[in-house]
Amino acid sequence: MSAPTVVHAPRRRRIDGWRWASRFFLVFMLIYTAVPMAWMMVTSIKSGFAAMAFPPEWWPSEPTLASYRNLLDPQNSVGRDFLRFFWNSLYVSTLTTILAVLVAVPAAYAFSRFRFPGRQFLFFSVLLRNMFPAVIFLVPLFILMRFLGLVNTHGSLVLTYLTFGLPLAIWLLKGFYDNIPIQLEQAARIDGATRFQAFVLIVMPLSVPGIIATAIYSFIGAWNEYIYAYTFLSKNEQLTLPVGVQRFFSENTTDFPGLMAASFMMSVPVVVLFLILQKYFVRALTEGAVKH
Amino acid sequence: MTDVTAQSRPAARPGGTRSDLLRQIWISRADYLYVLPAIVVMLVVIAYPIYYTVDLSFYKTPPGLQLKDKSFVWFDNYTTILTSGVFWRVTLNTVIWTIASTLIAFVLGYALALALHREFAGRGIMRAIFIVPWVISAVAASYIWKWIYHSDFGIIGVVMVQLGIVDRPPNFIDSVNTVLPSLIVVNIWREFPFAMIMMMAGLQTVPEQLLRAAQVDGASAWQRFWHVTFPHLRGVSTVTVLLLAVANFNSFIIPWIMTGGGPSNASHIWITHIYELAFGRQRWGVASAYSVLLFIILMTLGYFYVRALSQGERRERGA
Repeated sequence: MSAPTVVHAPRRRRIDGWRWASRFFLVFMLIYTAVPMAWMMVTSIKSGFAAMAFPPEWWPSEPTLASYRNLLDPQNSVGRDFLRFFWNSLYVSTLTTILAVLVAVPAAYAFSRFRFPGRQFLFFSVLLRNMFPAVIFLVPLFILMRFLGLVNTHGSLVLTYLTFGLPLAIWLLKGFYDNIPIQLEQAARIDGATRFQAFVLIVMPLSVPGIIATAIYSFIGAWNEYIYAYTFLSKNEQLTLPVGVQRFFSENTTDFPGLMAASFMMSVPVVVLFLILQKYFVRALTEGAVKH
Repeated sequence: MTDVTAQSRPAARPGGTRSDLLRQIWISRADYLYVLPAIVVMLVVIAYPIYYTVDLSFYKTPPGLQLKDKSFVWFDNYTTILTSGVFWRVTLNTVIWTIASTLIAFVLGYALALALHREFAGRGIMRAIFIVPWVISAVAASYIWKWIYHSDFGIIGVVMVQLGIVDRPPNFIDSVNTVLPSLIVVNIWREFPFAMIMMMAGLQTVPEQLLRAAQVDGASAWQRFWHVTFPHLRGVSTVTVLLLAVANFNSFIIPWIMTGGGPSNASHIWITHIYELAFGRQRWGVASAYSVLLFIILMTLGYFYVRALSQGERRERGA
């Protein structure tokens, strides 16, 4: 009976080695990931003077919420601008999300279920959109928007955001539909439902997690978008958060607490949204994109 | 009917006769209604700009967007680009930026997915923390790191001084030698979570029995990874690496906000350079020619991307 223990002992030790390596690695990655974010938050509750102290205060001796009050106060001009940017971002992102879901759902369903000529080609050309950088499209799109009379409107942003959100949305959703058994729809068809009814009444409810994942993705993409907003909008009252914050702080280059507070508030909505709904997102990836 | 029942048979393979194809199209006309909205949006916002860019790349354009005065110059814009020294500098930067960011982000993300695969206390919180850099806006990330790299009050420099490594804080992003690696660190910070999520999703598809069988047969942790997990995830890995590579190749925000391509072009990559040519110096023709070259490179990458995806698709249909 001694043979198995001899075999076992070195293997145990080797596994422990890996376990320790993975612990060290996790700690290293936690520092790399969390320290910048923690430093952002600590800086945001310092006074402008304390932020430039040497040696730095790891925790401010006099923590203050002045920067946040400043940004959220509709009475002063900074707060008025910031709240306006925030509202603009919310408006553009929400509208983009709704439209993206409305367009992506039928397209993904068709790519998943129907076999029409050119299906492969269309599917891949949709995916290929992901490959091209915004910069390439800026000049022609700018001219196109001018032609459509959309320059300096939020419509120009919604239209462009739609296109870069769509490919991944369609891809994620298609994977989801691929995993919904066809028999369910066939049963519905036998019971007399039309193809469209089967889609709306049977498939749609089952794909709600996929739709949620798609919506999160579109929202986050639109919320964080910078380059189109930077190019298409010039009026201050229309700017979205990333551009607005950038423009504001290129004039106030030393207000680091304010800048960190603004970065923090710009991040909160998407982080909260993602953390609440992340299980749908990971599930959509697992069921759709990854499982083959 | 090209209905759901036709799934077992790939219809409309372009091998039939012409009238067959037309009949197929006519029969499945209703199917197109589902994809029509997506296609229309794509056409307006993609096909037209591509055509426009290619066209403009053969013209010399006056500054400003009064494009009426442009003149046809054949391939002049292309030769201008290929003979300029900046082009090669920027290309080298782009190659370093893309390859370093992609590989390191992928390896870190993959390793994290493996480390987080086992159940342990605090796993959920850790996963949530790791995802945050990917979710927040790149603009916010750029400002956070700009503050961390600050040449007088930046936390890294200060810590290095206090530990006695250097006498005075280094100028991470103001020095030609360190700017590119410093920006790559920021870029990886933002992208490893994506690799992690993809690989976590992939890991869930590795059959548990297979791993257990290997363990029973005496395979070490490394052997189980190398002979079971790694080959099983080859498809996901390829897609992840390609998506990362394309995203990195197309990066703009981090270099643009943190350095604007400086100092002396040391952190300019293709996209920031094109943007500066177009919107900074208003050399639309040259910028368009650059974009066309970019297209060609991306289409090559895209070919591999589509091939990786359609392999997955074929496997799925075979299953």
